[in-house]
Amino acid sequence: MPAVELGPGAPGPPAGRPDADRPGPRWTGRLAFAAFTRSWQAQAGLAVVVILVLFCFLSPLFYRTNQVTVQLNLKDLPPGGSHPLGTDDTGYDVLGRLMVAGQSSLELGFAVAIATTVFGTAYGAIAGIAGGIVDAVMMRIVDTLLAIPWLVLLLILVNYLTPNLWTIILLLSILSWLGVARLVRGEVISLRTRDFVLAARTMGSTSARIVFRHLIPNALGVIVVSATFSIADAILALSTLSFLGLGLPPPHADWGTMLTNGLNDLFNGYWWLVYPPAVILIVTIIAFSLIGDALRDSLDVRLRRH
Amino acid sequence: MSVLSDQAAALAPGRRPGLWSGRRSRVLTLLGRRLIQIPVVLFVVSILTFWLIELVPGDPGRNALGQYATPAQVRAWDVSNGLTGPITGRYLHWLSDFVSGNWGTSFVYQVPSRPLVFGHLVNTLFLGLFAFVLLVPLALVLGSIQAYREGGRTDRGITIALMSLSSVPEFVIGVLLLVVFAVGLNLVPVESGAFATGDFAQRLQVTTLPAVTLAVAYLAVLARMVRTGTAGALTAQFHRTAVLKGLRPAQIVRRHVARNALIPTLQLVGIYLGTLLGGSAVVETLFNYPGLGALLVVAAERKDPVLLTDGVMITGVIALLALLLTDIGLILMDPRIRFEAGES
Repeated sequence: MPAVELGPGAPGPPAGRPDADRPGPRWTGRLAFAAFTRSWQAQAGLAVVVILVLFCFLSPLFYRTNQVTVQLNLKDLPPGGSHPLGTDDTGYDVLGRLMVAGQSSLELGFAVAIATTVFGTAYGAIAGIAGGIVDAVMMRIVDTLLAIPWLVLLLILVNYLTPNLWTIILLLSILSWLGVARLVRGEVISLRTRDFVLAARTMGSTSARIVFRHLIPNALGVIVVSATFSIADAILALSTLSFLGLGLPPPHADWGTMLTNGLNDLFNGYWWLVYPPAVILIVTIIAFSLIGDALRDSLDVRLRRH
Repeated sequence: MSVLSDQAAALAPGRRPGLWSGRRSRVLTLLGRRLIQIPVVLFVVSILTFWLIELVPGDPGRNALGQYATPAQVRAWDVSNGLTGPITGRYLHWLSDFVSGNWGTSFVYQVPSRPLVFGHLVNTLFLGLFAFVLLVPLALVLGSIQAYREGGRTDRGITIALMSLSSVPEFVIGVLLLVVFAVGLNLVPVESGAFATGDFAQRLQVTTLPAVTLAVAYLAVLARMVRTGTAGALTAQFHRTAVLKGLRPAQIVRRHVARNALIPTLQLVGIYLGTLLGGSAVVETLFNYPGLGALLVVAAERKDPVLLTDGVMITGVIALLALLLTDIGLILMDPRIRFEAGES
């Protein structure tokens, strides 16, 4: 029956999602995992992330530096001797600072990703399942927050908080759950009408069971991919905050603060204040993007990033 | 429109009127529902913005007059700028001003807020348009090259290059461009502010660096979307059918590949157009470009409720209209997309 194999009917009206009737989550999951671990993006990205975590959290135990008291007599030393990457304008060892700053950057990235994913998923799922007026009101709330430029919202909200790692995590989470909520809601709405959900409902499943057993597992691919990208986005957003002077206050640091400070000294020829934080920041973001890419490819997710 | 209906006729001769009118009625339903919802959302946006900025600790009068002004002077300044009294009353005052088109006065700039907002809006639109002229063709070309070479070395190379580019924070790209082209080669002025209102050539010159920075920031995601869409269309069965039945390549690309590839891309472009006004604030601040984003940053930092709320309303209108147009475009391009009751 070649005609059947060649595709459904006439050419023309665009094809449906290739995975329109995908099999159960278990089987897809195992297959996807295999595809994920085989891809070069996943291998490279995961390797870099592991190295970064070890570098930031483990190596300070062996490479001990002073990252608290200012030492102006050690200011702006070029790389060499006891400071492999030199010192910055307050006398902190740059290599040691990269580790300490990396801790805040990575912690923030993970924390924001988890917070936005959990809250955004719950919100989007509730809106999508409830439908009708509840959905409309919930989504108009999201639209309202999206209609205010994020930087403006941030500049207003920052007045209500004293900047430290936790308040910045809170701030960035407030700004970034909106996209996740829209994404999950869209996914839930398209899943809601599938046959297997109808079958479950016919068999008398409760709404909660349908949500947790059918809708969320099937939407998991989209959620995981967006969570991975939101780690990278959060780290990037933190660096922008630092550039605007709204980042972590000293003596704390993140890679963005280091980079911003370094850019001020660009014309003094202090290259070791610019390149190390720039390179590590960019490599980190590339690593998480690679993992996200690999996940997306392996889960065959047509991701709509908002 | 004519292309779409011609195509509909070619594809399903018998069903053409039904198909078309169904689509039109869906567009009209969506339009009707949104045109009611958009003002409601904007109303809530204005309340939220006004209240949030008003409740921020700090005294604009004290900030404006400095630490040596007496409390009486500060009080007089607040009164003359309409910053005293119950917040509800002031909000209602702002609202009636806004609706009547006779917007208030920005106390930071001491000029009427409407020409200020619209002047900066024009600059931002110029910047955004410039960025999109650079961005969209490049993304289309790179994304399709990748899709046609999927899995190959070219695909991988472009992926890595784009990913690296998009991983560099906007402000770093901006500073590097400034260092190379403004300071090093002296091709453009270091700051765009004073020149952005001159004649067209001058505007183009000072807008180039900010536009390139913006384009770079969006390039990777957009190219990625083109690649995904195109690759999906190329592996679909209708594509194989089209090839096997001997359609000319140009026809396959135009009818089958491009339309499928453009759906996710169009969605993304719409969302970005909507967020562009807010998203360009960092770039505008960096280059001291007199756009709406930078204006709103100043208004938020100096706690100017009238200017801020007026500006946010304008960005809100544009963001919501961009989303609406995107959704309409999606319905016209992809007959399967439905905005169910309550979804929109």
